[in-house]
Amino acid sequence: MTRDVSLTGRSSTTRTVRLGRVQPQAPSHRTIYCNDREANFPIRFKGNSISTTKYNFFTFLPKGLFEQFRRVANCYFLFISILSMTPISPVNPVTNVVPLSLVLLVSLIKEAFEDWKRFQNDMVINNGPVEVLQDQKWETVPWKKLQVGDIVRVKQDGFFPADLLFLASTNPDGVCYIETANLDGETNLKIRKALERTWDYSTPEKAAEFKGEVQCEQPNNSLYTFTGNLIIQKQTLPLSPNQLLLRGCSLRNTEYIVGAVIFTGHETKVMMNSMNVPSKRSTLERKLDKLILTLFGSLFLMCLIGAIASGIFINRKYHYLGLDEGAPTEFNPSNRFGVAALTLFTLITLYSTIIPISLYVSIEMIKFIQCTQFINKDLHMYHAETNTAALARTSNLNEELGQVEYIFSDKTGTLTRNLMEFFKCSIGGEVYGFGITEIEQGGAERNGIQVQVHKSVSAVHEKGFNFDDSRLMRGAWRNEPDPDTCKEFFRCLAICHTVLPEGDESPEKITYQAASPDEAALVTAAKNFGFFFYRRTPTMIYVRESHVEKMGKILDVAYEILNVLEFNSTRKRQSVVCRYPDGRLVLYCKGADTVIYERLADGNDDLKKITRGHLEQFGSAGLRTLCLAYRDLSPEMYESWNEKFIQAKSSLRDRENKLDEVAELIEKELILIGSTAIEDKLQEGVPGCIQTLSRAGIKIWVLTGDKMETAINIAYACNLINNEMKQFIISSETDAIREVENRGDQVEIACFIKEEVKKELKRCLEEAQHCLSTVSGPKLALVIDGKCLMYALDPSLRVMLLNLSLNCSSVVCCRVSPLQKAQVTSLVKKGARKITLSIGDGANDVSMIQAAHIGVGISGLEGMQAVMASDFAIAQFRYLADLLLVHGRWSYLRICKVITYFFYKNLTFTLTQFWFTFHTGFSGQRFYDDWFQSLYNVIFTALPVIMVGLFDKDVSASLSKKYPELYKEGIRNVFFKWRVVGTWACFSVYQSLIFYHFVTTSSAGGKNSSGRIFGLWDVSTMAFTCVVITVNLRLLMICNSITRWHYISVGGSILAWFIFIFVYSIFRENVFFVIYVLMSTFYFYITILLVPIVALLGDFIYQGVQRWFFPYDYQIVQEIHRHEPDDNSRAGLLEIENQLTPHEERSYAIAQLPREISKHTGFAFDSPGYESFFAAQLGIYAPQKPWDVARRASVRSRPKTSKKN
Amino acid sequence: MDVDGGSTSSDSTRVRSIPIRSGQCKAFLSQFKQQSLPACKPVLTPAWVIAIHLLLGFVFIPIGLVTLHASRGVLEIVDRYDADCVPEEFKGNKVSYIKDTSVPKNCTRILKVHKYMKAPIYIYYQLDNYYQNHRRYVKSRSDQQLLHGLKYNDTSSCKPEESNNGLPIVPCGLIAWSLFNDTYTFIHGTAELRVNRKNIAWKSDRDHKFGKHVYPFNFQNGTLIGGGKLDPNIPLGDQEDLIVWMRTSALPSFRKIYGRIEEDLEADDVIVVHLMNNYNTYSFGGKKKLVISTSSWLGGRNDFLGVAYIFVGSSAVILSLVFLLLHVKNPR
Repeated sequence: MTRDVSLTGRSSTTRTVRLGRVQPQAPSHRTIYCNDREANFPIRFKGNSISTTKYNFFTFLPKGLFEQFRRVANCYFLFISILSMTPISPVNPVTNVVPLSLVLLVSLIKEAFEDWKRFQNDMVINNGPVEVLQDQKWETVPWKKLQVGDIVRVKQDGFFPADLLFLASTNPDGVCYIETANLDGETNLKIRKALERTWDYSTPEKAAEFKGEVQCEQPNNSLYTFTGNLIIQKQTLPLSPNQLLLRGCSLRNTEYIVGAVIFTGHETKVMMNSMNVPSKRSTLERKLDKLILTLFGSLFLMCLIGAIASGIFINRKYHYLGLDEGAPTEFNPSNRFGVAALTLFTLITLYSTIIPISLYVSIEMIKFIQCTQFINKDLHMYHAETNTAALARTSNLNEELGQVEYIFSDKTGTLTRNLMEFFKCSIGGEVYGFGITEIEQGGAERNGIQVQVHKSVSAVHEKGFNFDDSRLMRGAWRNEPDPDTCKEFFRCLAICHTVLPEGDESPEKITYQAASPDEAALVTAAKNFGFFFYRRTPTMIYVRESHVEKMGKILDVAYEILNVLEFNSTRKRQSVVCRYPDGRLVLYCKGADTVIYERLADGNDDLKKITRGHLEQFGSAGLRTLCLAYRDLSPEMYESWNEKFIQAKSSLRDRENKLDEVAELIEKELILIGSTAIEDKLQEGVPGCIQTLSRAGIKIWVLTGDKMETAINIAYACNLINNEMKQFIISSETDAIREVENRGDQVEIACFIKEEVKKELKRCLEEAQHCLSTVSGPKLALVIDGKCLMYALDPSLRVMLLNLSLNCSSVVCCRVSPLQKAQVTSLVKKGARKITLSIGDGANDVSMIQAAHIGVGISGLEGMQAVMASDFAIAQFRYLADLLLVHGRWSYLRICKVITYFFYKNLTFTLTQFWFTFHTGFSGQRFYDDWFQSLYNVIFTALPVIMVGLFDKDVSASLSKKYPELYKEGIRNVFFKWRVVGTWACFSVYQSLIFYHFVTTSSAGGKNSSGRIFGLWDVSTMAFTCVVITVNLRLLMICNSITRWHYISVGGSILAWFIFIFVYSIFRENVFFVIYVLMSTFYFYITILLVPIVALLGDFIYQGVQRWFFPYDYQIVQEIHRHEPDDNSRAGLLEIENQLTPHEERSYAIAQLPREISKHTGFAFDSPGYESFFAAQLGIYAPQKPWDVARRASVRSRPKTSKKN
Repeated sequence: MDVDGGSTSSDSTRVRSIPIRSGQCKAFLSQFKQQSLPACKPVLTPAWVIAIHLLLGFVFIPIGLVTLHASRGVLEIVDRYDADCVPEEFKGNKVSYIKDTSVPKNCTRILKVHKYMKAPIYIYYQLDNYYQNHRRYVKSRSDQQLLHGLKYNDTSSCKPEESNNGLPIVPCGLIAWSLFNDTYTFIHGTAELRVNRKNIAWKSDRDHKFGKHVYPFNFQNGTLIGGGKLDPNIPLGDQEDLIVWMRTSALPSFRKIYGRIEEDLEADDVIVVHLMNNYNTYSFGGKKKLVISTSSWLGGRNDFLGVAYIFVGSSAVILSLVFLLLHVKNPR
């Protein structure tokens, strides 16, 4: 259909070869018999039901268990459980089996619950209604019942249930309009046209007669290509993407269409485009596996030491052990090797506590609560206007949020609202419009000025127009120093455009259909200034002008449009030659400042200079600018030019170039009128959020389908790029490349572009390295477009691209396809091994969202596609700061603490056991009773650590956002490094030595005044008591904030131990009455005071010294704000009292703004598909342009008006 | 991911309002969800570090002094006799001496009392390098049988000393089998010192772990005799030697109480000990010691706790002084 699509289509066919994701085209074609289920039956096409669940009823248990046993720890516990059932085990099997089953059960329930939710969601989709032709009637059936070959009817605003062959529509000419927002995020309508042969099959009676045979390609994931043939009544008609309606798109401006199902369910292009839902695991968790492997290593080492020593130790001389010939292998001195081997296993079961069994369950519980209670319920991420709260869709990735280093963001809908508003203008050297853009506000706030935006009474705000300056409104411009220029300015806005009016011809009700929202904004601006463009015919433009001749007078004026010199990306300007009713011939021109300035007439340098200054000012404020100019033409001159124009227009070869050349002849000696500034409305708080995030050390990449200029503009607007940065631009829109492209040889194009890209990359990389080598080199920014990116992602160039992009603080990729977004994401994810986050709102972001470590969906107005694929959903981009800097950081800190603490407590406990082994002839005798050992993890130390996982806060939320730099600790993974783990391990060893040796040494000899002696179980109970108390108190020492729940849980755990032993020692023979015996001695109390304090003293000194001399960043912040009460409101910290009047304030704020000379002026009149539609009317042949879509759409919905014209 | 067909699914995810409610519990829930529970935020500033160390010192040193004082007040006479009690001709082969039942095992030791020892004076025997905590040894007992005797038949845990002639040995297992059987008699001047051998085991053991009606009728009847024999006419609950022995020790070097002398001993008294050196520690090189000791409120002599307290306390004080100096010299 459109050139746009065919271009992308071309690139995607190249992709088949190069990038591998596209399945190779199967040689066979699929043949579909439309409206004939029996004929299709033997081929067994897949049904239309889809399933995004991970498991089904039968695979749940095996697959779910498999998933669980992917965790090293669970595998290990299975092994231990089996081992502990053998006689060589020193412990009871129940004590290992029960905790493992518990762990598995909890995890499986959680998995089942999550999958159930996915299943329900699928069911909703699968059961959506669709009308299918059955017996000459439309029957409503659920989507899932749809089969290949069925004839379906889709009504206006309905979604296509499968990939359909478009047969007929209610529109004349067999066209329909579709919105592809779910596929590529573009909201402008696309046109699809049925084959003329099938136009009539729109009624059920007719449609029932349709018996066609479709031969088409096998299902594939290329959205923009489709080849096939429709064989109908022995006629073969070629099919193109123009006849294909993709699942996921919706029907617009068309009452209904009739189509035949071609691809169903998982074979539809949109489904083939979505990658498999990967089960994401956080990086921390993977690192945890490494830690656990290390623990295995040390476990094995400990066991090996014990085993070898036991082989050496065992000897018949210990007659009291009864080691005669009949002794079992594990104790038989004549087989020392056997003794060692079996002791190895004995010791493995004995030391199994070194792997914390409840760790995974605890972490899962903590994360689950963090998600469901903290993230989902956070009022600071709650968007009141849309009543949307944040939503954590998986609970696996909380702590990953605290370590993100790269953010990949979509533009439209994520950073911007895709809403253009006329914001300011400069007319005849005077700036109009008082508004302050968000960027200016952000800049001012960063300089410590609070700008309160007060709407003055004169401010007008409607869609496309947000302007606050009474000097231009209601004819007040007549009193301005240069009213004539103002008049030209307004007329230029009202005349020089390609907008179509729609609806009632009244200023309130009219809507403008424009290819780009910028154009609509300009025309809306003209309307508000009193130059109301209300009607267009092919040759005339009707404008209702107010206050022109004198105040209050309203006049309808018709301008004859003689020529339209359309916009394209080389010309970067657009002109209209019009004739006033009085015969005055004027050329109005608007375009990028660079091209306009080249073509200005000499003289009036002051105005040029002033206007240029204004342009720069607008540009740095993040506004999109256009220059307006006009030229009076003399009739003679025009006539001679028009001849050349018509000639060029009707030439068959190279018409476009010739037209451009002719245009050059007349677009010169222009007179500058002024410039407009349009705000590409960012989402609320985006620049501030980006600023905060980049202070936090996060690098933000924008991946957008937009054109390069637009993308750069937004990057400026969002503070991603500024003029101090060195920019590298790698574009395929160079003359050299275009020239080769025009020759049309695909292979040559590919080679050439690849070479060019390689050259560019090399050059940029060298420059980048040069910049980085200097001390205060500028920050770097990279801008690359999709076509170049495609070649740059080639394995041979990949490394170079990665090197370059990682050195850049921001990267903008424009004109990228959804798949490329995913590729860029995985390039960084795999290549740089950094944590990546993707954020987007449309279906085109889905693959990117899934490719990144963390996917964030914007749950806004567009479809729920992105949200469904995401891990977290937020309502606004700005909540990302809360999500990452507050929740992510806290989660990271908490999980790190939980993990290291678990590691510590189990290591300490196991090591006491290990030291005991040395004193038992390496026999593997257990030091503690087995129930002590198994309940240690499950009861005596379980709850407090969960409290830390939930409640620990180093600094308050507002401080987290005030000092985003704190986040860098997470990126560097400061709290879960091997060094940290090593420190904990050292203290574990220290503490375990204290526990074991202090208790055993002090227990020798009589232990009360009657001289009685302690036995093994008395000593071990004493030691265990010390361990439980110490380990619980140690927890309090790692807390940054201690709530009463900490006290309750820590106290409760210690109490639980005592209660347990009080009861247990009455029933159990070996530890019978030990606690009562112990507590009857003074020894117990003296030891219980000494041992925990000595054990904790080491940690205490370490913590004190560390905080004193080597503080972490968060500790410094803590101490800065030590005496402030914890503000729970989080707001108001940055508010500064000010007594200025609003006006003073504003002017002061503006005065404070940075005034550096800006090279960037923000030209951005360049949305996708902005090309004039007049070419099609006036020329002999012109390829259909996307613009036609909108025109046709408006024509259809307004048939009467167009006829009248 | 698939196309979202209708609005139903989006409604469920989108409309999640967060009501803020009142009330004690609800206030807590809201604070919990907004993560703003009231909390104390300890910040370990240098001042705190110094103060806590000082406090620690001031608490620990007195406790240490008291404890050490108590421990030091205990008088202890330790006599190792295993080597000296072997006759000259057997010095080269102690194992054959101990295994040769024909050689008389009696031996006489002379102990000198250095200071006045106040009654009760406890007699311990101490074994070194004796692994009472070996896994094979520890589990080779049947607590059920000790309590219920033949009513409890499952003596599989007692291997290898579980049965004799088809009947379970009472008490079964290695621990009982290897019962310590050296005996001591003490002569003070001319008279024999009365040694009270009752009430030396923990009361809970006597009353609840060893049966009052369980008699060791077939104990030590096997081919290999491990150690002491028991009077078959006395129930296990009254065999306090056995009860003490069967509370297995934690470490391979341990003391076990033998009896109590209930007379004061004056300084420079000489006590003659006649002992029967029956127990075989020679094969594995274990030491046997006889210990006579008084007792304090803290038990026997053990300086460890007191020294540890004083050491930790004084280190804390020194550290706090060091920190104080650093703090004064180089304040933050």
